[in-house]
Amino acid sequence: MTKYSMAVDLDRCQGCRACMTACKIENNTVQSNFWMYVFRFEEGAFPETEMSFLPRPCQHCDNAPCAKVCPVGARFKREDGIVLTDADRCIGCRYCELACPYGVNYYNWQKPEKGQYDVVDWHDENIQTATGGAIPPYRNPDLDGLYGEEQRRTAGGGHAKGIIEKCTFCVHRVEKGQLPSCVDTCPTDALVFGDIDDAESPISLYLRGRSSWQLLEEAGTKPNVYYIGGKPPNKELKEIERPKVTV
Amino acid sequence: MAVETRIDAELPQGVGRLSTGWKVFILAALAVLGFGVFAYWYESSNGMSVTSLRSTGTMGGATWGLYVVMVEYFIGVSLAGVVIASVSRVFRIVELRPIVRIAELLTVASLMVGLLAVIIDLGQPIRGIKNMLLYARPQSAFFGTLTLVAGGVFMTALAYLFLGGRRDAARLAGIPSRLQWFHRLWASGYTDSVEERERHRRVMFWLSVGIVPLIVVALSTEGLVFGVQVGRPGWFGSLQGPDFLVLAAASGLANLVVLSAIVRRSLGDWNRLDADVFKWLGRFLLVASAAALYFMVVELFTLLYATPSNERQLADSLLKGPYAWIFWLSIGLMILGLMLLISQAATAKWRIGTLVVASVAISTAALAERYLTVIPSQTHASLLPYETGSYFPTWVEFAVVAGLFALGALLIGLFMKAFPIIPIRDDIIPTPDEEVEATANA
Repeated sequence: MTKYSMAVDLDRCQGCRACMTACKIENNTVQSNFWMYVFRFEEGAFPETEMSFLPRPCQHCDNAPCAKVCPVGARFKREDGIVLTDADRCIGCRYCELACPYGVNYYNWQKPEKGQYDVVDWHDENIQTATGGAIPPYRNPDLDGLYGEEQRRTAGGGHAKGIIEKCTFCVHRVEKGQLPSCVDTCPTDALVFGDIDDAESPISLYLRGRSSWQLLEEAGTKPNVYYIGGKPPNKELKEIERPKVTV
Repeated sequence: MAVETRIDAELPQGVGRLSTGWKVFILAALAVLGFGVFAYWYESSNGMSVTSLRSTGTMGGATWGLYVVMVEYFIGVSLAGVVIASVSRVFRIVELRPIVRIAELLTVASLMVGLLAVIIDLGQPIRGIKNMLLYARPQSAFFGTLTLVAGGVFMTALAYLFLGGRRDAARLAGIPSRLQWFHRLWASGYTDSVEERERHRRVMFWLSVGIVPLIVVALSTEGLVFGVQVGRPGWFGSLQGPDFLVLAAASGLANLVVLSAIVRRSLGDWNRLDADVFKWLGRFLLVASAAALYFMVVELFTLLYATPSNERQLADSLLKGPYAWIFWLSIGLMILGLMLLISQAATAKWRIGTLVVASVAISTAALAERYLTVIPSQTHASLLPYETGSYFPTWVEFAVVAGLFALGALLIGLFMKAFPIIPIRDDIIPTPDEEVEATANA
């Protein structure tokens, strides 16, 4: 049976955050929402300081606490291991956000047209041509389909106000046989994706012979993101900078 | 047997008569409610970004804020009313009889407002109601709120209030007034015959026996909404359920004391709430608030011994960080309330004024405690090293919550003008049976 997983090689990650940018472009998330987030840590006291990085996508847990607490089954785990949010069923209670120890859930606090990056004029004719008329960007039709055997619409398409969204492992790309956008973009190949139940998949081959660990294993969530190298984060680590939080 | 009646004079307890003071109260409540509705409309139009709520993690916010605090508080308050009413019936505590309906009304009103607060907190309120009916999952602790509390306790409390009031409704239904239709509707054919009265007594007894475990289980799920969250330091633990219940009992009794004191003052000549009633309430409140303080102290000790970890960070935020003033205020108010109660119990002199002061202190402490349960674990207790966050409600949240309080007050105020809030004494209005008997004797 297919079980999609991700490996993150921290020895390769250089903290460039290209994966974060790729995720934003692919999924048209609003400002301050980071479905993929890269921690940049500093440890020690100057000048004896050390930097480290930790990419944090949704862990697509086998024992997903977010799915367990959802009162209406809007958060669900697919047969192939991907944890998604049914955009039509989510009631916006945000219980999943509190149940998740990883902080990967983002609520749409306002209308999707607000909080979009205004670096370009989305109504510009050239932009419309380039994007195939998918204007405004938060109505990307590619994200708006029905996915999987379940044929459920995934939160991410439309970015509707008052519902929860999070990393989907780029389900719309995976179903076409493509890699998640962050994996596809990583310049150092620190991110590896595939079917971990397939012994010959890229992720299985990459993990073979390497020791790996999972984030907050003690929480019992059975995450499907495997970290190689580095070390699990602790409270002594300080983030170097804080992302934009204005909504 | 001749029976004195005041049938011709007026309905008892000022029912149907709109005094100036009552009109001012209702107008004030409507004004506050209107402002709350405006604030909610503003929030619905612009999104919850007009509140202080933000996602946890990278946004460093609290995704559950004042609305959820009020859900916990209001639903907690509902506990005491129904328990007092049940205890009075099951153990036949005659002294508590006069406040049985006030207690039931407090339960119904606080549940209505509390459940409304749940809906207000949803990002998709209409879909929330619909999908909870279509897709509700019993595995979610949240399920308890919207089924056990909304469907079970609320409906049972309504039935309790309805059945408990039928005898009075039957009495009033015979009195010509503008509200006669309402009283007939409430009586719904009940005539208070000996057989009916006996049947009613049995039903109310078993309802009283059954509703207490129901509300204990239902309200425990409120605590478990937090207690089952392994990923949120400060929440995970088996004590969340009992802790919720104990604080609910203290805050509910405190509100019942305040409401009873207001009713006592507003009823004037019709007042039947003597010192004995408040003495009983004071004793119950003493036990409940002592237990609540015990839980708070146990929690404090646990926090003090927390190792350098996420729990320690949470403890620091409570003991000396941004939430310290709320934490120490809640401890201080609870101790103050308890001291006032102990001093009265020790001297066996229960003053209503002092009891009200103690109740306000305890109720405020409980509200602060609810705030501390909900908020700091979100802003200061992440398992991953996110920056600490912050949360303080905006005017929109305060206005909506003020509107909820106003709605609760409005419900109680309107009820008092439609129905006697204290069960009618037998010597005030005869029961239909007694009337028949009196006529026969004449």
